[in-house]
Amino acid sequence: MFHQTATRTLVLLIALAGLAIYATSGGYFAREIVVEIAILAILAVSLDVAAGFGGMVSLCHGAIMGIAAYAYAILTVKLGLPNLPAAVLSLAAAAIFGTLVGWITGRTTGIFFIMATLAFGQMAYTTIFKSRWLGGDDGIGSLSRFDLAWLGIDLDDSLVFALYALVLLALVYIAAAWVLRSAFGRTLSGIHANEDRMRALGVNTVIHRARALGFSALLAGVAGILAAQHTLYISPQLLFWTVSGEVLIVVILGGLGTLIGPLVGAVLFVLLKHQISDYTDHWHIVIGLILIATVLAGGRGLYGQVEHMLARRRPAPEKPAPEKPGPEKKGLSHA
Amino acid sequence: MDAGFWVLQLLNATQFSMLLFLLSVGLTVIFGLLHFVNLAHGALYMLGAYVGISVAASSGSFWAAFILAPIAVTAIGAVLYVTLIDRLRGAGPMNQVLVTFGLIFVFLDVVRLLWGDVALSLTAPKSLSGAAEILGVSYPAYRLFIIGLGAVVMASLWLVLSRTQIGAMIRASVENEAMAAALGINVGRLFFSVFCLGCALAGLAGVAAAPIVSATTGMGISILIPTLIVVVIGGLGSLQGAILGSFIVGFIETFGAVLLPGFAAVLIYVLLAAVLVLRPEGLLPARG
Amino acid sequence: MKRGLSTIALAAAASLGLTGAAFAETTVGLLLPYSGTYAALGNDITDGFNFAIEEAGRADAFAIVREDTEAKPPVGLAMARKLVLEDEVDVLVGVVSSGVLGALRDFVDGAEVPLIVANAGNDAATGEACSPYIVRVSFSNAQVNRPMGQWLVDQGIGKVYTLAPDYAAGHQMIEAFTEAYAAAGGEVVGGEFTPFGQTSDFGPYLTNAGSSGAEAIFVFYAGGEAISFVKQYGSFGKKLPLYGSGFLTSPLYVGAEGEAAVGVTASLHYVPTLDTPENKAFVDAFKAKFERTPSEYSVQGYDAARTLMAAIDSGAADRASIAAALPKVSYASPRGPVEIDPATNNVVQNIYIYETVADGDGLTQKVVGTVEAVRDEPNGCELQ
Repeated sequence: MFHQTATRTLVLLIALAGLAIYATSGGYFAREIVVEIAILAILAVSLDVAAGFGGMVSLCHGAIMGIAAYAYAILTVKLGLPNLPAAVLSLAAAAIFGTLVGWITGRTTGIFFIMATLAFGQMAYTTIFKSRWLGGDDGIGSLSRFDLAWLGIDLDDSLVFALYALVLLALVYIAAAWVLRSAFGRTLSGIHANEDRMRALGVNTVIHRARALGFSALLAGVAGILAAQHTLYISPQLLFWTVSGEVLIVVILGGLGTLIGPLVGAVLFVLLKHQISDYTDHWHIVIGLILIATVLAGGRGLYGQVEHMLARRRPAPEKPAPEKPGPEKKGLSHA
Repeated sequence: MDAGFWVLQLLNATQFSMLLFLLSVGLTVIFGLLHFVNLAHGALYMLGAYVGISVAASSGSFWAAFILAPIAVTAIGAVLYVTLIDRLRGAGPMNQVLVTFGLIFVFLDVVRLLWGDVALSLTAPKSLSGAAEILGVSYPAYRLFIIGLGAVVMASLWLVLSRTQIGAMIRASVENEAMAAALGINVGRLFFSVFCLGCALAGLAGVAAAPIVSATTGMGISILIPTLIVVVIGGLGSLQGAILGSFIVGFIETFGAVLLPGFAAVLIYVLLAAVLVLRPEGLLPARG
Repeated sequence: MKRGLSTIALAAAASLGLTGAAFAETTVGLLLPYSGTYAALGNDITDGFNFAIEEAGRADAFAIVREDTEAKPPVGLAMARKLVLEDEVDVLVGVVSSGVLGALRDFVDGAEVPLIVANAGNDAATGEACSPYIVRVSFSNAQVNRPMGQWLVDQGIGKVYTLAPDYAAGHQMIEAFTEAYAAAGGEVVGGEFTPFGQTSDFGPYLTNAGSSGAEAIFVFYAGGEAISFVKQYGSFGKKLPLYGSGFLTSPLYVGAEGEAAVGVTASLHYVPTLDTPENKAFVDAFKAKFERTPSEYSVQGYDAARTLMAAIDSGAADRASIAAALPKVSYASPRGPVEIDPATNNVVQNIYIYETVADGDGLTQKVVGTVEAVRDEPNGCELQ
């Protein structure tokens, strides 16, 4: 069950404001990093909707992001559609793909679900990689950003684009929180907690989960369009399973099932990677050790741990969050 | 395409299946018994290959590498078990994913630091470097050795699991851990031994594959997916599942390359999706 | 951004890097993979580049900022933008993978920053997608493979079977060869593109080749795949002679391939055993410093620096003048005479056909043919 607690709102505002200040005051590369964070954070929030609240640990979110990016490229570069309607159609394409995957894999759970989503993601990756029409591994270039000149906004300016990315991130978070608090989201959490009970209550759990994955995919599509508009070039690399793996790591690192945790995880992951790689080409080992240390330190993810500590210090918080399930507890139930 | 051609491809498929089997059986047995998803299994395979290459280079003997590499990987596995794995058994799959993914990153850079970025390789022993005549065709002796090795490991594991007391204990623990512990089985020690055995097999697969493929820093990650596919198709936790999964994947990959080369890259994922849609728990799951 | 921002001068360590940069005349952004599968190539190119600058005694004149592309297009583009917009480099050098080059192309062209390509062979980069700001000192995929067509026919080989990884470079290499081979009267009787990065067992493909009726196999593989392929070719008894793109038996990998590589004949733009005074001096000096034989990748890095220095010597100082001067460069490189073709901005160079032969305990390269001054057709490039 999702609760947008005061702490979560505060963390969200601090993170967004901090990134905005970083982009505004920092140099060009700071803005680049902010956009990179926004893309990863959107993807992480979208994965958390599926994994943290629906128990659907997908290993195809990278592919979903890539499908949206490729749809955007095909519609604009290959078919000459205007950018805005192309982006809407691309989001629809991502959502349809997500819903279909969710429906087809509806009966699988746990690692079988992970592997089934991996299979569909890799099918999409291989198909695009092999397509010579789509440039194969050479990708597609000459993409463009939205023309918002009529609003007096120039997205080609790096600062404006960084702020635009943060706005998208905020919108995605709000949309995710809103849906999770709705009856739809509560039913999803209910299915995750006890599928048999929900089925007994007359919910078609397979369809409901498929819709939830479709909604998650819609949000992941936003990351895809942002990524395409950011680099103005896309390649099949976006769809490869390691991208999905990295997002999953970020979600768990931040705190599965907290929605804000994955966002925090994305911020820390990107900043850490850039900081460490300034000093050494061997940044993998440092990140690896941090991942291990995070689990040994409590296993709730970074934000989950913070919430856990706050909850202990304040036995009776003014805004009670009755059953705030740690990721650990959820994980076990689906072992 | 005469009969000889098909015999050769049959041998290719069998050889590839056996390599997959060596890798996946450890993973599946660890999962079945410990309920632990060890994503670092591929990294242990990589370590087996690299340690083997170093041992062979310093001792001049492939066979020394063949013996020592699995032992070294087992030792690494034992340290991992004591320091990390044992504590994480109840930590939930998500934490296990995070830790073992962290281990992949750590081992990746350890290998880069110790062995460098240039791909390496191991030379097959002189006695196995030639070709052998079999079923009317001439086939690389080392590949026949892999087939034999896989068959021997398969048969011994089957004998141990079905005919010995330890095997009975393992099967009982897979079936019902609490009941097994209540019956006086030292589950902790059993877990440790099985985890080490899985690591030894990963190391063995690494050193055995090294004369055929090159050792690269990416091999641990790239082998992970085929191994997981084998395990999941077969059904988690069962020896029969690992055998069946290995042969399905090995044959699909080989004959896919022969008959449908344009689709070779995607066939395995189509197969995986199809199996999971029809049998959501794999073909031969350990628990009914 | 401390990493790499240091002059080559060893005395000026990282802490003094900023000071060094202030005095340096030219700021160079090295854009190469330093982690991931291609890290070995990135390091080899970097060594070659630094070696040329040190050899010329001009370490103080260059400030070098190094960035890791991880051989991933989005990362490469982000790093290129960082180097150009934040570090304000005068010239970019590097790019190993064609995917990264594709991602950079529009940005570099639009920002009007010269890019000296030190590896990526994508034909389009100096063909229909060429740019006055992109100069390639390494090779194009077609350039390396085309000469093998005529040469194989001259050897009396009329039918071949081709193999390459299923990605853009693999297709380009095989297509260039096939076209030249067919024009010379040869026939490609079959071939496959193997799943890239997913194929560890080449046995099925070798068996296919064996029953195809071909007289020889022509392949392109590089890196770990090259080692696996050549070793498996050896273990299957070398039933058909093996020819290929010279990356197959590069000095970087031939040691790992061992005896299986003996007799493999391939074409490449550089072989360390070339018998020229320039090359001998280069190989000796390189070996003395790095204790290893230079590979084609080291030479590409070396020639990137040589080309850049030649452009600066001709009076170029900023982005525009360097870009304008680069296409006029020509000199005697360790790989033979090289010049930049102003029609495409691709290098014009000799292609060597070499056989890997046993030499005592090790392996060495025996040059068996030279095709001089191989030049690519403009293929849609309209620089002139």
